[in-house]
Amino acid sequence: MEIQQETCINESLYDVLVIGAGIAGEESALKLADMGYRVLLVEKEPSIGGKMILLSKVFPTLDCAACITTPKVSETARHPNITILTLTEVEEIVRDTKNRFSVTLKKKPRYVVEKDCTGCQECEKACPAIVNDQFQFNLTARKAVYIPFTIANPRVALIDIDNCLLCGACEKACPSNCIDFTQKEEQLKITAKSVIVSTGFKLFDPIQIERYGFGRYKNVITSMQMERQLAPTRPFNNILRPSDGKVPDKIAYVFCAGSRDHTVGNPICSQVCCMYSTKQAQLLMGALPMADVSLYYINIRAFGKGFDEFYEQAKDMGAKYVKGKIASITEKENGNLILRYEDIATGKVTEKEHDLVVLSVGILANPGITRVFKKERLETDALNYIRQTDLLQSPAITSIEGVFAAGTATAPMDIPDTIMSAGAAATETSSYLARLS
Amino acid sequence: MEAKQKTIDIIKQTRKAAPEAFEARKLYLKMRKAIAEALKDEPKTIPQVAEATNIPIGEATYYMMAMLKFGELSVNGIDDMDEYYFYELKKA
Repeated sequence: MEIQQETCINESLYDVLVIGAGIAGEESALKLADMGYRVLLVEKEPSIGGKMILLSKVFPTLDCAACITTPKVSETARHPNITILTLTEVEEIVRDTKNRFSVTLKKKPRYVVEKDCTGCQECEKACPAIVNDQFQFNLTARKAVYIPFTIANPRVALIDIDNCLLCGACEKACPSNCIDFTQKEEQLKITAKSVIVSTGFKLFDPIQIERYGFGRYKNVITSMQMERQLAPTRPFNNILRPSDGKVPDKIAYVFCAGSRDHTVGNPICSQVCCMYSTKQAQLLMGALPMADVSLYYINIRAFGKGFDEFYEQAKDMGAKYVKGKIASITEKENGNLILRYEDIATGKVTEKEHDLVVLSVGILANPGITRVFKKERLETDALNYIRQTDLLQSPAITSIEGVFAAGTATAPMDIPDTIMSAGAAATETSSYLARLS
Repeated sequence: MEAKQKTIDIIKQTRKAAPEAFEARKLYLKMRKAIAEALKDEPKTIPQVAEATNIPIGEATYYMMAMLKFGELSVNGIDDMDEYYFYELKKA
């Protein structure tokens, strides 16, 4: 089977443009490609896989996330009907006179010739420039020339030109001579008969909630930072406190950090935080058998198949669920953290000391893509998710004919629901394409 | 091949490296030197390295974890309280 090389766009007419190569985009693209449609999959990051590829395990099965997602990523990358463009953003989409979409894309330079890079990382060893590693959520550093993460696809280096010292060490070290500083940003024009928007979600930035101390106290971290610490490709050698490298033994989770909170503009439940925190608690108790894990919640929402059993299992393992909203977090001199909260069970304001606090951050809409549609309006709902005009019968249909939405672009949801949503979008798209022809 | 090796010279005609990138590099070199000096005789925990080098402990953690990632340090056991790992310079 021919491997699609992302720099080679030989044809400019596609049946479907899929925007966003997370799990929803991949699933939609694969389903349509299997039906014989030619798909262009566009991703702004240097690797496909979205957020799922960075997770440790999934709930409630505790299956390895990478083991589930990497075969799908690989299948997507190798499918003869799918062309992938990474480091690429959509600039403009306009319907043409033939009822197709004329699309303008902006492809950032990688400064590495993708087809020649073997992923040997000799360039990384030679690079003298260091910068925060965004794929480890800034818990550690990376080089200016880097492979995003071990299971990135394509597993090809790129140069972060804004942080590059322009010393040329990578170019000297590269055994396959694939470093190319002459690459320029490209503008590409393609035509697509239909579009799937699978642009995913944004994570809530807890720096907005000052009383939690995120950004000021090193031992207050986000659930995504803990997710990375629990993953096999973790930033540290074990699960450690960022302030001093101590193995934590009294860990607290603060639920609904940026969800169900009018004060931060996100009044709805993010659907996944109760369960991913419960998953992390179980993984932590497995990795650190002596650790106490307390989870401070407002309500537990264990609504899915096997979720309640999963929650009960965490309690049986020793996780302490405390009903109470955290009022404030303060730091002691030794880096430990004092949580002040109203214990709903006793009605008393209580303080408790922990040595690591994890904020179970919520999901936010990612509506930036709506701006690229010209002449027609891709409508959003009150919370900025893509509006589903026929939610009950055809959830993938949007306000623009021929444009469909998949996954968390439409609402917060977990991975199985995202896969189902992506399947629905693929079905609607194939039906639309059949009508067109 | 000759033309390939000169692409850095081509970009340098139109672009300069950001001063912040040089500052970050300088800081990393300073930290790495101090950490390596502290670890040259025996493995140490992060608090021990921070104390020996006067590097704030949060920064010592960040740079030692970066050195671990870049293959310059390795783990050498954990203390008696199972709280802090010992790190040592990786043998060549």
